[in-house]
Amino acid sequence: MNFAKALLGLGAAALAQMLLGQHAPALAERCDLFTIFTVYAALTRPPRTAVVLGSAAGLLQDALTGVVLGLNGFKKTLLAYLVGTLGSLFMLNQPVPRFGILFAAAFFDPLASLLLSLAMGQQHVFPGLGDLVLRGLGNGLVGLVTFWVAARLP
Amino acid sequence: MPRVVSSHRKPSLLLFLLLSMHLVLMASSVRGSRGGSLLEDTLLTVFSPFLRGASSMTSGVAGTWRRYGGLRGVEEENRRLRAQVGTLLLQAREAEEARREADRLRALLGLRDTAVPGAIAARVIARGGAGSARVLLLDRGSSQGIARQQPVITPRGAVGRVVEAAPGVSKVLSLVDPNSGVAALVQRTRVQGVLVGEGEDTCRLEFVSDEAPVEVGDVVVTSGLDAIFPKGILLGVVSEVGEAQGLTRYVQVRPEVDPHRLEEVLVLHGVEGTEAAAVPALPGDGS
Repeated sequence: MNFAKALLGLGAAALAQMLLGQHAPALAERCDLFTIFTVYAALTRPPRTAVVLGSAAGLLQDALTGVVLGLNGFKKTLLAYLVGTLGSLFMLNQPVPRFGILFAAAFFDPLASLLLSLAMGQQHVFPGLGDLVLRGLGNGLVGLVTFWVAARLP
Repeated sequence: MPRVVSSHRKPSLLLFLLLSMHLVLMASSVRGSRGGSLLEDTLLTVFSPFLRGASSMTSGVAGTWRRYGGLRGVEEENRRLRAQVGTLLLQAREAEEARREADRLRALLGLRDTAVPGAIAARVIARGGAGSARVLLLDRGSSQGIARQQPVITPRGAVGRVVEAAPGVSKVLSLVDPNSGVAALVQRTRVQGVLVGEGEDTCRLEFVSDEAPVEVGDVVVTSGLDAIFPKGILLGVVSEVGEAQGLTRYVQVRPEVDPHRLEEVLVLHGVEGTEAAAVPALPGDGS
């Protein structure tokens, strides 16, 4: 039941990301709902479940965005593992540390993409620092709101 | 509970498997053609209903937004077109009025040319009456040759007579005015009488003998005995025949010409008591 709810949340995140991409592309570039979902799953679910959900989120993002299949899957799986590990070491149930995690995830994503692209001999453009900060802020703010809403859902 | 404990253990193996799977996927995606990945195809197939739903939803939202934007433009355009339609309708009505007026004037001219040489075409510029009086004001007067007691007609029949003529304007007492009296006769039986107005829409034929053969539907025309109207001009149709009252009987006549709807008339002059049998009842003057 919990897993089904999580999948439902994943679907909602995908739908919201698509809507944002079509109608608010500027916001969609600064806010990755798949990352937010992965972080939320990692903070609120058992590690295995979180890793599976992160992997599913990444695969869905790959399928929907048309990038190299497995790229986001790999990143999200790793992200879910890392956040889950951090969550088991530190108290991350307060808004400030959660914001920090979401902010850091915005840096982790392009960094992982860069490394994977280099490993596969693909070209990759690393975003500028300002852009990354904006992404981090977007992820953090939208993520906190999403967490607040998700915590109040039945 | 063992499952819970198990699920909280470090998912090292699971992580390794998943990451390996993704790496394989990436490698195969990069090596092969982008459309050839079975997993990607499967994923797309599995998620295609979701994609279609999302797409239709976004299309719906976008369409609604576009329609809303379009509707705002349409409202503006509607307002402009409505104003344009109003103007065109007005022009069309004016054109229609001009056409009808031309028809009526043509009919009047035809009447004047064929029957009564001494006729002056005039336009009704006002109509009124105090109490039951029914008068018309014409835009032609003494300066155009109109004088008192001249008959006023239309192609459909008699209207009344001139009671005042000033330069440029004249007043006509219509048949339905109670002060109006016209020598008349029933066309079918030649019964004579005086047509007097009743103040509203009807007249009555006075001095009709109680034994006179008059029926509803009989046509009443001028007799020419009043030395005002030429003989034979249509006055109206008998609409009611009452019981005998002493030596006479009540005969109601509905005038052929409705003074409320008149616009153009002919004022006749120099036709005292002359035979007007040749005056045709021209149809289609609209009155």
